[in-house]
Amino acid sequence: MGLASIPLWFVVYESIQLSFGQWQQLWSSRLPELLWNTLSLAVLVAIGCFVLGVSAAWWIARHDFPGRTYAIWLMVLPLTIPTYVFAHIYTTLFEPDGWIGLAWQTVFGSADTIPDIYNIFGATLVLSLAGFSYVFLLAHSALSVSTQTLEEAAQIQGVRKAQVFWRVNLPLLRPAIAAGLAVVVLHALSDFGAVSMLHFQTFTLSIYLQMSGRFDYQSAAGLSLLLITLSLTFLVLERFFRARQRYYSCRQTRKHVLKPASPAKIAVIWFWLGLITLFSFVLPIIWMLSWSWEAWTQDLINREFWGYAFNSLSLAAMCATIATVIALPIALYNNRLRSKFSNALIQVSSVGFVLPGPVVALGILTFIIAVLPVVYGGIMALLLALIIRFLPLAVQSQDAAMQQLTPSIEQAGRILGATPLENLRRVIIPMIRGGLASAWVLVFIDALKELPATLILRPTGFDTLPVRIWIEASEEMLELAAPAALMLVIGTLPVLWILMKNGTSKN
Amino acid sequence: MKPFTNTIILLFATLLLTVSIAQAADSIVVFSGRSDKFVKPVIKQFTKETGIKVTIHSGDSTALLNKLKIEGNRTDADLFLSNDAGTLQKGSDLGLFAKLPSPITSPIDANYRAQDDTWIGLSARARVLVVNTDSPFADTLHSVFDLADPRLKGKLGITHSTNESYIAGVSVYLLASDKDKTKAWLTGMKKNVEGKVFNKHSKVVSAVASGKKSAGLVNHYYVYRHLDQHPDAPLKIILPDQGSNDMGLAWNVAGIALSKHTKKQALAEKLLAYLISEKGQKVFADVNREYPTRAGVAASAVVPMAGSFKIANVPMYQLGKYRNETIDLIEAVGMP
Repeated sequence: MGLASIPLWFVVYESIQLSFGQWQQLWSSRLPELLWNTLSLAVLVAIGCFVLGVSAAWWIARHDFPGRTYAIWLMVLPLTIPTYVFAHIYTTLFEPDGWIGLAWQTVFGSADTIPDIYNIFGATLVLSLAGFSYVFLLAHSALSVSTQTLEEAAQIQGVRKAQVFWRVNLPLLRPAIAAGLAVVVLHALSDFGAVSMLHFQTFTLSIYLQMSGRFDYQSAAGLSLLLITLSLTFLVLERFFRARQRYYSCRQTRKHVLKPASPAKIAVIWFWLGLITLFSFVLPIIWMLSWSWEAWTQDLINREFWGYAFNSLSLAAMCATIATVIALPIALYNNRLRSKFSNALIQVSSVGFVLPGPVVALGILTFIIAVLPVVYGGIMALLLALIIRFLPLAVQSQDAAMQQLTPSIEQAGRILGATPLENLRRVIIPMIRGGLASAWVLVFIDALKELPATLILRPTGFDTLPVRIWIEASEEMLELAAPAALMLVIGTLPVLWILMKNGTSKN
Repeated sequence: MKPFTNTIILLFATLLLTVSIAQAADSIVVFSGRSDKFVKPVIKQFTKETGIKVTIHSGDSTALLNKLKIEGNRTDADLFLSNDAGTLQKGSDLGLFAKLPSPITSPIDANYRAQDDTWIGLSARARVLVVNTDSPFADTLHSVFDLADPRLKGKLGITHSTNESYIAGVSVYLLASDKDKTKAWLTGMKKNVEGKVFNKHSKVVSAVASGKKSAGLVNHYYVYRHLDQHPDAPLKIILPDQGSNDMGLAWNVAGIALSKHTKKQALAEKLLAYLISEKGQKVFADVNREYPTRAGVAASAVVPMAGSFKIANVPMYQLGKYRNETIDLIEAVGMP
């Protein structure tokens, strides 16, 4: 647990060396703009994800229409595409000779009016398309389990049908939506790849530029400290508002009966879902396929490429496995003794998620060189950074699974003569298998896509798919970036399938 | 669960193995901040001729320099390659590089290497104006300072101000003219770009070629690269500030340095010797149509002949010394 706080100590240590004057200079030169950019991006992305995620969840959970099960899949597939890949693809699509650019010229006649996406709207578009699936998943599962009784009660009381969603469902959905939006906002606050490809100055990008351009670790740490404060404030607020709300569901509920949608409604639903899918998955995938084909015909898919794929997959698998194992005692401990201390531990472990990747990487690098130089040079430093970044995901999903364990089951095990370890092996682990699997999958997906820490900490000559995408994209070698991006999607699909199966079997 | 665990352990072992292979005894490591496609041809040639394997660890020049600095004596890097003299000089100032022996430095002009011989330039490039020949500006632009002309409002294409070449160019103007003039120039350009800058030089050239912009400030080779693919593009290069009283154009070099903590100095020096040999110079500079820094090696025939134009009298190491001051100025103006 102490390890998880290394980057935090690094930030605090570096930033206390900032003099008052330097703080003042930071404040006057960049902070107002950075704050404004970062906050408005977070708000716009939250709105974007809300609109896309909740609308899709509502149509899919509450209407019966042909292809409904496929629709759920279509809404989570964008999770397989990292934000920087979205950003790269959209910047090329919006070029005058890109697909969207060409379509625009056919419709409007001129290339001059093609919208510019190197700004907050481009960043919002990219981060919303890349993130709305989180909101969708949580809203969808909440909508699927909630019952119709309250909606019917409202209708009996004279609420018009169109208003039921706003007055009954939405308030009931609030916790799920809030949790989904929290994930999305935290991602937006710490995103590095997309904002730097779009050159939109947020905290994370500015921190990176301070560090690498000016070798100014102290200012970078000062900015990080502010970013952490911002994220933690947001988390605390979110928890505070959620804690004040309690919803109870009655035990005896009728299974939700879905009425088949009318043909007109089916058309509307599929038009909307189709539109979302077009931009969030179909266009990017066609782009990847066509450039990968180009690469294939030029014989660029060679041994080197498979090496990158192998590095990526094995790194992500190792990271997921270790994080899942480490998270188990933490979640267990937190579950047994819901103390202030255990809660604080959980909070500390989530710092990794909030800190920008480059800062985590530099903190780890500095720490290892100073304290554990022996392990430096191999894969250890990178693994450590990735685990610190993604441990919170593993802890949270195991914690959630354990909350459903009744202590009496364990007590029964003990009475029947099982040792605590045997109990863990034969009772607890089998019962939280689903939680363990989702912990593994969530960490795997994020580790596979991770860019900034990998860029800095990868061992010499050890390139992963994200690193290659980054290098090739910055050189505009589309035919080399595309197959790597496609490989990331293919690598994520099977584990996403595990996650989805897990989720649906629970309901 | 069992077979799964075994798979993971197997993966772990293979991975550790692959990583250690990369650092075999007869191989060297180059931290490279230059595009792979420009580095690989000369490295391949070198490996073919000498049998010495080279691992290219690519990334952002400045990020790699940070890595080198923090790693200290734990670093794997034997050589550090960068596209920008400013970054190389920064490394020298931080004490990260070893002094190079004189057989390696002497063929290179003193303006193109560090004062203390801790890095050498390998290829040079010019900051030029690119104009659209159909635009009214085709014959009116003569100086980089003309880019601040309000008549270019909405018609000027430049890159984002975090670009290394851009920062290095501003450093040259800062040193060859003066601070007030440079500041006024930046302010004028800021008005002209109307908040819209490009993230790549190649996109500046495309925008000028399509007529969306009339003029741009780029490195010379981007124009030739565009002309390769679109030979009929209405583009013209203007070598700026060539009058007898003018400062001359801004120049920058890509170069290389030897890590202070290298354990394979002999092998690394072989690569250095190859890179400054006439053959190596030709391959290294030609892939990108840059100017070889070794006197007597000719540049590609398509670019203006070296020596036929005036270059601002700013030694390359100054780009590192004035880097932070330049960034401060750019930020003070608020260049996007």
